[in-house]
This record gives sequence, structure tokens and C-alpha cells, in this order.
Amino acid sequence: MPHIPGIETWIAALLTLACMSFLYKDNPFFRFAESLFAGISLGYFIGITLNQTLVPNLILPLHRDFGQNWDLLVPGLLGVLLYMRYVPKIGWISRFALSIYVAYYIGLDFTRRIHGEVLPQLARAIVPLSKFDSHTILYSLIFSVGVFSVLIYFFFSKEQDAVTRRVARLGIWFLMISFGAAFGFTVMGRVALLIGRLNFLILDWIYPMIGLR
Amino acid sequence: MAGMLDKLLSLDRRWIFLLVLLCVGTPIVLPIGLPVTTTGSTRAAFDYIESLKPGDYVWVSFDYGPSSAPENDPMAEAFLRQCFAKKIRVIVCAFYPLGSLGLATNSLAKVTAEYPNLRYGEDYVNLGYKDGAAAVMRRLGEDIAEGFPADVNGTPLAQLPIMKGLRSIRQVQLVCSVATGVIGEYWITQVHSQIGTPIIIGPTAVAAPKYYAYLNAGQLVGMLGGMKGAAEYEKLLAARYPDMARFYQSTRGFTATKGMDGQTVIHAVIILFILLGNVAYISRRAAQKKGA
Repeated sequence: MPHIPGIETWIAALLTLACMSFLYKDNPFFRFAESLFAGISLGYFIGITLNQTLVPNLILPLHRDFGQNWDLLVPGLLGVLLYMRYVPKIGWISRFALSIYVAYYIGLDFTRRIHGEVLPQLARAIVPLSKFDSHTILYSLIFSVGVFSVLIYFFFSKEQDAVTRRVARLGIWFLMISFGAAFGFTVMGRVALLIGRLNFLILDWIYPMIGLR
Repeated sequence: MAGMLDKLLSLDRRWIFLLVLLCVGTPIVLPIGLPVTTTGSTRAAFDYIESLKPGDYVWVSFDYGPSSAPENDPMAEAFLRQCFAKKIRVIVCAFYPLGSLGLATNSLAKVTAEYPNLRYGEDYVNLGYKDGAAAVMRRLGEDIAEGFPADVNGTPLAQLPIMKGLRSIRQVQLVCSVATGVIGEYWITQVHSQIGTPIIIGPTAVAAPKYYAYLNAGQLVGMLGGMKGAAEYEKLLAARYPDMARFYQSTRGFTATKGMDGQTVIHAVIILFILLGNVAYISRRAAQKKGA
């Protein structure tokens, strides 16, 4: 029994087609969809940050128990100071808040990168070959040679000689293989998005209209 | 032959777009049902959740938006189904600003409808969205309520039975981050490396290569790479739970397994195009050298 899908399905379907129409050539429908998306995204971001972060984490605690939560005024004030850049006369005040913000994230990221990325992955790259069977040794060898040759390729502090140039060349091969793998995954990812959109267009929009669902 | 190859090199790329559209669209209308093989990283993720006990806590973080939902939705729903089937308590949150909260709410509503005995606030909870993922994760190691003072409906955590006795993310047995972009990395480097909580990542295919470095370094329990990883997980679930096998066979909704038909067809076509393009390029170069 055919039935007309709801208005939300129609809006989503027509906007999907408008976006896809860019593949044929640039046109006003695509530009409309693009602008609409940019505007709605920004509005949504402001709304969700206000409702889900600012209200429960700042405004409500201050309102409910100011004595216990007065310290929240400090980050709240720093947030307000960021917007002082729009007042030219006192714009310099925003730099204080920005510097604290940057310093916090440098500290946070520094630990995160060293402790969470560099050290564990370095530890994995230094594996005693004697401890493994032949299969693991082969993989560890390829891994070690790959890491070493790529590092040589990116070592720019000294001019390459005949030996290091060959090792760097090997590093390029390793990089090319990794780029190839990344490209393959990217194709899979993009096709997945197309599959998702076509599923929506066919199963949720067209099929109900012709009574197939 | 040379003329045909020349034509191929100067082919309007819109014909290729049309062919891609047909190759992806046809299996949706006429499903093929091609087999899906499972990989070690997906099996490791599945087995880890299988090893958890009823009453354990799993934190499912929705770190993606609608733009990658066809890849990530099936992963998130598969995690939720497995946890609920095993009576594991699930805490849901969202860190991706554009739409992750809506997707989390939709997925929870969809999957919990399949398990009518589940009670909100006791068996699962939705903590909502928070801005500044890395900083919030840092707080989760000390006090969850400092990062998420209330659930998505505004109910303070202290009033939710599921959160009773759960103060820090250290007490959570597993974090599953279904992620696009960098937020999945935060879970590894901020939570696993500094607190020790085991992590499973379900990244988009585009993000998957970088997560192999973490997997290889033993920083991940398991990983589901893109739609293929999600399809593998659905297969493992169907093999372990007969109810889910029936569900995945009969559902009219979108599943990763259904999407893999289109993936396989289009990948075969792309490989063919790469080969043809290279043959045409090499032939032309050889002809030019001869001419010179």
C-alpha cells in the first residue's frame, strides 16, 4: 500500500539530491543546501553547548549552591573575557583568557602525547627479537626496518650520503604502502557514506511511495 | 586499441560517478548476500565484551556525527545489543559536537526497544553531550560527576541507581568509543594510558589506519575498522546469539552487513578502473617515447 513519507523525509531526501547534484556541476540548489547546512550546524553547536555544557556545568551549580561552587566563576569569567576582543578598546583583556586556555591545553596535550603515544609506541618498536617465534620475528623485522628507514627519510639535519639516501628511499616505499592502505580505507569510508544516503533515498523515500515498504 | 585507451584517459568523470551510483544502488535494490569474513581485531573486541560479567559497566561514547552514521551506527548498536544481551550496565555519552547526542539518543531508543525489561537509570543511562572532550575525560578519572553533573534529562547523577558507587571511570570495565576524528585518540591517550581502562575503538574507515598503530602497541583491546568492521561484528553477534541472527536477517533497517554488498561491488569496479587507468597511462607514455 503506497503512502507518502513525512515532510522530514522529503526535506532530507531533497537536500541529499541537492548536495549530490554538485557531482554534475555547481548549481544554486547545491549552494543553498551548503549554506543551510553551515548555518544549521552553527546554530546547533551553540544550542547544544549552551544546553548540555554551560547550563549543567556552570549556571545550575552556581544557582543551586553558590557557596560550594563559587570557584566556577573563574572559568566562567575567563570565557566571557575571550569575547572582549570584539570591544576594540579593551580587546587586549581577551589575551589573558586565551593564554590560560592555551597553557592548559598544552599541558594536557603534552602529557597525553608523551604518555599516550610516543612512549607506548616507542616501546612497541623496541622488541627483543630473541623472544619470538619466526613468524613474529619476520613482522618485527619489517616493522623495525620500516620505522628506521622512515625516520631516516625525515631526518633533515644532515645532508644525505649514498647510504642514507638508499635507506631513505626504502622509507619512501614504506610510506607509499601506508598511503595506499590509507587510500583504500578512505575509499571504503566514502563509499559507506554513499551507501547510507542511497539506502535512505531508496528504502525510506522511494519504496514507501511505490508501496514496497 | 590505442584510440580506446586514449578515450578512456579523457573520459568525462561524470560517467564514472554514474557507474559508481549504479554499482552502489543496485545491491540495495537487489541484495546479493556476499559473505563477510572476520578479522582478529574485531574478534578480540567481541571476545572481550563476551568475557565481561552481568552487572559490569561498559561506557559507550558516541564520538561521531550524522556524516559517518552509516559506518558508525551499526557498530554502536552492535555494542549496545551485546551489552544488553549480557546484562551489562551501559553508560552512554557523546563528545562529538555536531549530532552525536541525537545519534546516541536514537540508537539507545532503537536498541532498548528490543529489550523491554531494561530500565533507564538502572540498566543504562545517557549522560548527554559535553564540550571539550580531552578535558572532560581528564576529570572522569577523578570524579564522573565533575564532568557530567547530570544525565541528559538534567537528573543529578546521585539520583540515578546505576551511578551508585560508581565514582570514577577507573571502575568501568571497558570503554567503547565509536569515533570519527580525534576523539577516539583522546580515549586512548587520556583514559587508557593514564588511568588504565581498556578501550575498544570503532572508527570510520578513513580514521582506521591511524588506530592500527595503537592496536599494534597494545593500547587497544580491539578495533572495528569502518563498515567492514561493523559487518564483522554483526556476523559474530549473529553466530553467538540466535535472537540477533534472526533480527539481522529480518530487519528492514540498514545494517553494515547489507552495506557490504555495495562495498564489494564498487571496490571491484575501482580496482578495475585503477588497472585500466594505469594501462592506458603506461601505453600512452610508451607511444610518446616511441614518437620522440
